[in-house]
Amino acid sequence: MTGTGLLNFGFEFVEIFAFIVLATVGLAVIFGMMGIINLAHGEFILVGAYATTFTFAAGLPLPLAMLSGVVLTAVYGLVLERLIIRHLYGRLLDSMVVTWGISLVMIQLTRIAFGNTAPGIGIPFGQLPVVDGPVYYLVLAVVAVGVLGGLYALFMWTDFGVRARATMQDESTARSMGVDTDRMYMSTFAIGSGLAGLAGALYAPVLTVTPEYGTGFLIEAFVAVVVGGASVLVGTVLASGLLGTVNAAVTNVAGTFMGQVAMLIAAIIAIRLMPDGITGLLADWRENRGESQ
Amino acid sequence: MSVGSSDGPLAAVRRPFEGPNTMGNSPAFWLGFAVAVVALAALPVLFGLYAAEVGAVFLAYALLGMSLAFIWGYCGILSFGQVAFFGVAGYAFGIVAINAATLTGLTLALLAAIAVSTAFAAALGYFMFYGGVRDVYVTILTLVVALVLYTFMGQTAGGEWAIGDARLGGFNGMSGVPDLAVGIGSTGVEIGLLGHYYVTLGALVATYLGLRALVNSQFGYAMVATREDEDRTAMFGYDTTFIKLVVFTIGGAIAGLGGVLFTTQNNYVDPSVFGITAAALPVVWASVGGRTSLIGTVGAALAIQFVDYRLALSGSEWALVLIGSLLMFVVLVMPEGVAPRLHEYIVEYREDADPSPAPQEPPAATEEVGD
Amino acid sequence: MFVTERSLTRRSVLAAGSAGALAATAGCVGEGAILGMQDGGSNPTAAVLEDRSGTFALTGTAKYRTTKLAIEEINRDGGILGEELEVFAPDPQSDNMRYQDLARHAIYQEDADVLWAGYSSATREAIRPLINEHDQLYFYTTQYEGGVCDKTVFPLGATARQQLGAVVPHMIEEYGNEIYTVAADYNFGQLSGEWVKLIAEEHGAEVVGEEYIPLDESQFGSTINNIQSAEPDFVMSMLVGQDHSAFYEQRLASGLTDVPIGTSTNMAQEREHLRIDPPALEDVYAGVNYMEELPTDRNEAFVERYYERWDDAEYINQEAQNNYFSVYLYKEAVERAGTFDQAAVIEALESGLEVEAPEGDVSLDPTTHHMNHNMRIAHADENHEITFDEPRTIEPVFLEEVGCDLTSETERTQYEPDALSEGA
Repeated sequence: MTGTGLLNFGFEFVEIFAFIVLATVGLAVIFGMMGIINLAHGEFILVGAYATTFTFAAGLPLPLAMLSGVVLTAVYGLVLERLIIRHLYGRLLDSMVVTWGISLVMIQLTRIAFGNTAPGIGIPFGQLPVVDGPVYYLVLAVVAVGVLGGLYALFMWTDFGVRARATMQDESTARSMGVDTDRMYMSTFAIGSGLAGLAGALYAPVLTVTPEYGTGFLIEAFVAVVVGGASVLVGTVLASGLLGTVNAAVTNVAGTFMGQVAMLIAAIIAIRLMPDGITGLLADWRENRGESQ
Repeated sequence: MSVGSSDGPLAAVRRPFEGPNTMGNSPAFWLGFAVAVVALAALPVLFGLYAAEVGAVFLAYALLGMSLAFIWGYCGILSFGQVAFFGVAGYAFGIVAINAATLTGLTLALLAAIAVSTAFAAALGYFMFYGGVRDVYVTILTLVVALVLYTFMGQTAGGEWAIGDARLGGFNGMSGVPDLAVGIGSTGVEIGLLGHYYVTLGALVATYLGLRALVNSQFGYAMVATREDEDRTAMFGYDTTFIKLVVFTIGGAIAGLGGVLFTTQNNYVDPSVFGITAAALPVVWASVGGRTSLIGTVGAALAIQFVDYRLALSGSEWALVLIGSLLMFVVLVMPEGVAPRLHEYIVEYREDADPSPAPQEPPAATEEVGD
Repeated sequence: MFVTERSLTRRSVLAAGSAGALAATAGCVGEGAILGMQDGGSNPTAAVLEDRSGTFALTGTAKYRTTKLAIEEINRDGGILGEELEVFAPDPQSDNMRYQDLARHAIYQEDADVLWAGYSSATREAIRPLINEHDQLYFYTTQYEGGVCDKTVFPLGATARQQLGAVVPHMIEEYGNEIYTVAADYNFGQLSGEWVKLIAEEHGAEVVGEEYIPLDESQFGSTINNIQSAEPDFVMSMLVGQDHSAFYEQRLASGLTDVPIGTSTNMAQEREHLRIDPPALEDVYAGVNYMEELPTDRNEAFVERYYERWDDAEYINQEAQNNYFSVYLYKEAVERAGTFDQAAVIEALESGLEVEAPEGDVSLDPTTHHMNHNMRIAHADENHEITFDEPRTIEPVFLEEVGCDLTSETERTQYEPDALSEGA
């Protein structure tokens, strides 16, 4: 591989890695913390994208428009959590079915309300010098890493994080220790929604915003969550890294579609070998090592 | 209210289809069932070929719905990808039938299509259940399989994607799929428009009765036990993994049968059968109708698709909103679905009619199940 | 290689042997049956199934509106054979399943005398089995991959051969011999790519790279990379749909605007030059048979009538114009046949008709059911202003070359470019 070839591969990887991380992290937070698979995840992303697009079209500067996308999606998630989701805690399959209903309704309502097109946003920051590609993709990668770092800090270092992890590990004990678990779930869901909104906002300039916008993130997000397993941060990072590498390598050689196919095949093999995800495997491994020592 | 005694002359005929795992074990139920079947059979006579053509599509959907109710309601496997088997069977039928459009060929196409969907379900099931994939992971994996098929079939437009004379056709789908026919050599029947309706109806009724017999058999008890508590069932010596595999495979076969009937009705199949909206429909029917009631799911499929159809004719855009909202409403308000709730009321009502009255609760459900 | 109707069709109900009982039942189940549901209106009915919502609303809405406009104009002027044309026009919402339902309803319940339906080839293929089964007269007006040779179907849009036959030679002459093809990864795009290769060969040019992009892809980073390293003289774009329009924005962001683009799909259909801010479509050349900006008196009068009727309308795309003139074509055929009977109308259409379309006078080719179109090259400048060159009539010769003659033979086929090399 030539120098530029390597560089191109690197750029491709960064682009795909960022996409998978941003598409997944909202879903992963909600799944990891609450055990709920939010099938309307794509449509939360959609809310972020539409909010960004329309506030931007109304004259807000892009960063503010994106921020409003994040905030609106978080608020939206909060409202849905209070109205619907909270009735479904502990009902894993029911929660999937209901969120799928939410997804159907939201796509169609978006179509009815806004039609099939939304105003476009140009890609900011222009072109990279050495590798062909927009600077913006690097910005996305930086944001993706930033989000992961931020989440780490939030869950490991803050009081909220400690209580959230306690709730996740053992709800009744946490409650008896005075943690308002209901509130923990509510905030976790809002954070997850906000992160979905962030993905929608960040990709609004890159991907065409239509009512089916959210579905474009679905496969990557689901696959990464399943491959990653229940541990939010480690799972997301490792799964995105694995899937991103496979996708970028094959895309570089055989085109976008084959890249996608290779990624899915890798995911299926990964699930077969590690039914509880990468983090499940890590946990097993750690346990085994503990036993043998 | 007791309608007749359970010792009627038909009791012996009914026995294999009845048991604790199915609702509707009374003569009144079977009377209603017979009336419904007769009504469906009379539909083309009353409303013409048009009704037969539209109705056959709905009946094929009902088979798809029943395949999900069977695996989800009776064995706890929630598959979001039943359409994968439905569509794969449709394509398989098309491939064989287009290449061999003779009576023998079409008969083989039917068998091959169901064999392919069954084998596909068996392979996927083996992969998942013996790989230790469980619960939500099964659900997501099946959905991803459907979506991957959607993407894959969508890009098979080029001439290189042909099997013999059959072009997969990519996004445009595979057209020119022949009608169903059964026979060998020059003896047999090609099933025309009207025949197709009755074949589909017959397949639906036969599948329904077959599944009822199955869930009320020894194997059925093991299935339900696996749904209720897999670990405990395994402890009693049942091979729950194998049970799940068998159930999932049967579900795939039934969905495949529906897919063949659907494809031959339209003479056409395209990747949208694997799409996310199509994938959602069986889940809607089973959730609304009641996944533990095969007949409830069938009723919900027919009723919902009929309403959807009327809405489409009026040009309304609200069909999907309605369907999605119905799904949310039912799962939140009566998680078990309409038919089981209805059944509960009927049982209560009968008990009320007995000399020992129980506190009465007025039926709150205004939802009704079409049949 | 091509696909032909197989030996067994739905019409041949019984193959042999048994099934007497079924036949007897079939005897008493007529199309009307006991409780007839037919609307029973005595006026002739046009079924117009065009998307006003969903993926294809962008083009479908205008198609619906121009059809309505033409029918209203005709009815105002005394109708056809003294009868007013009724319209059955629910919204299929860009959903092929709905198209099947609605086409079925139009045929059985509305007893439609003529049908306009659908934007995408997928839609056409989804309803063609029904059309064939009921011998329904059907106008399909989208510019498409070409090759449909079907007794009751009239594909009146320009074919890929016609559009690319206009624009590719023009681009080769202007810019050079090296072509990079970017096309949507489905039937239309794949076949268009084949045509580009064929036409390039005919003109001594070469396709140096080609890429087929999934319909829902809107990230073109690697595609643009590949184009830049291939350094073609121009790009041929057969990208389709809203996701793909992101290509032009990314083209601008990556500074690829110095490579001109020829297209058969963009601008004339989904008005990318109006939806996307300039100068993303600078130096895009489209081979078209119509665009709203066409500066002829006849077209300007048409555009004015259209916006008078639909004051919130946004753009008349190429297909919408095709719908408009095809209504008039239908009128002429019915008048020549002297009846609304579909077989007679088809025969009249095959007698060679001409109609005054907004794009100019166009005539129907009797043997292939396609149109001789006035093809123009439309060029977008850095402000997305459109200019046209002189029109050239391009005949739909491909089907004749492969031997499609619907006046003498009832075919129901779709031919592909490789039928040329196989000599059919």
